[in-house]
Amino acid sequence: MRLNNLLIYFLISLLFGCSDNKIHNEKDFVFGTMIDIKIYGESKINAEKVSNEIFTEFHRLHKLLHPWEKSTITDINTAISKNKPIKINNNEVISILRNVQRLETQTQNLFNPSIGKLIKLWGFHSNDYNQETIPNQKKIEKLVSSNPLMQSIKIKDGILKGNNKNIQIDLGGYAKGYALDQAKKILKNNNVNNALINIGGNILAFGKYGERNWVVGIQNPRKPNVLATIALKPGWAIGTSGDYQRYIMVNNQRYSHLINPKTGYPESKTQSATILLPPSDDSGTLSDVFSKPLFIAKRENKINFAKLLNIKYFLIMMDDDSILISESLNNEINWEDDIDKKNITIH
Amino acid sequence: MIKKILQSIKIIKIGDWFIIILFCALIIISTKFLWNLPQGKYLEIYKNNEILATYSLNQKITKIIDGEKGETKITIDNGKVRFSSAPCAKKYCIHQGWINKANQIIICIPNKISISILGGKKNYDSINY
Repeated sequence: MRLNNLLIYFLISLLFGCSDNKIHNEKDFVFGTMIDIKIYGESKINAEKVSNEIFTEFHRLHKLLHPWEKSTITDINTAISKNKPIKINNNEVISILRNVQRLETQTQNLFNPSIGKLIKLWGFHSNDYNQETIPNQKKIEKLVSSNPLMQSIKIKDGILKGNNKNIQIDLGGYAKGYALDQAKKILKNNNVNNALINIGGNILAFGKYGERNWVVGIQNPRKPNVLATIALKPGWAIGTSGDYQRYIMVNNQRYSHLINPKTGYPESKTQSATILLPPSDDSGTLSDVFSKPLFIAKRENKINFAKLLNIKYFLIMMDDDSILISESLNNEINWEDDIDKKNITIH
Repeated sequence: MIKKILQSIKIIKIGDWFIIILFCALIIISTKFLWNLPQGKYLEIYKNNEILATYSLNQKITKIIDGEKGETKITIDNGKVRFSSAPCAKKYCIHQGWINKANQIIICIPNKISISILGGKKNYDSINY
């Protein structure tokens, strides 16, 4: 009799073990990268419906904000390059541009999305970016000294004026984060409480994975495995700027797409900068934007920028494999076994 | 019948037991060392946004996958796997080389093909990169 009971319990537990149908996973390619949506605890039909609504929104943003294929942004850029004012009929675009101007000031111009011409010069305005030479130094210097800044752009009564012909808006460091915040609105509107949205590495943890928090792995910049894992509390966002996804190699030297707007050259001493931000309406946007100054700033200034921008959770990997990590993040992170703890400094 | 078996066991002397145990041990040890099956190790190939195929890593074979931009070759070699050819411009996927551990992943964004190794306990839900 007892043995029978035991057997029944065993069989029931087997059944439960097999039926992990509470998680639904959908993938798509948008913004030139992979989108991964995981939804927990919804019916399959509802999860698919909400995922599709999110993908549709991402495709809309992709078309609206694309930096080099025809979009509202390229229309604005054409007008700016001809020094002509342009009427913008889209309030969303106006509020994005105003927000970008604020963020540029807040990051002391290290996040500067008006340097599209520099990014193009380095060959990153293409899906293949197969440029095999580095740009002419004089051309770089000329663009840098013309001092393009989002703050020079004036928007009044829906009319935008660039005031600097060398301004070319490229929201590559903003759009994916903004899209995360949009996805969050869609989840809320559909009463979905638990989801994990990953847009090419910018991740938003919405709610939980059942009883536990969502866990993300932080990519090792030089190896095909993770450096560490971290549990994201509900509502937290994580963003990374790295030199290992978009870069060109010229004479065995790596040049990433993360260009220092003040020098015109890619930052070369940093491999990656990862930040975690607490819940807020714009945590997705900020996780995308604020990783840039931490990546681009000189080593000695990185910590100051983290303080300035109130980033309490950060992990920065330098080109000599040394790791700078904040105390808060170090308390919660789970390092993978092959990490040399000697290289870690806690700030 | 059972009696016969018991009788025959009685015939086995200590020396025979020694040899039987020795051979059993030899079989167990050699299975462990020589049977090079990476248990539970499978390769998952994603095309666009869907799982295209799952293969055992315990084989030596090259698979050809049609991606967005053209043909991608994925080589499996007894426990490890790599991109061996791809139509993308920068060949980052090929430069990643071999992967052999559970949950390692290589993504070829231009051709929209990714490979990852299943098996073992996955200790995260998504990767920040």
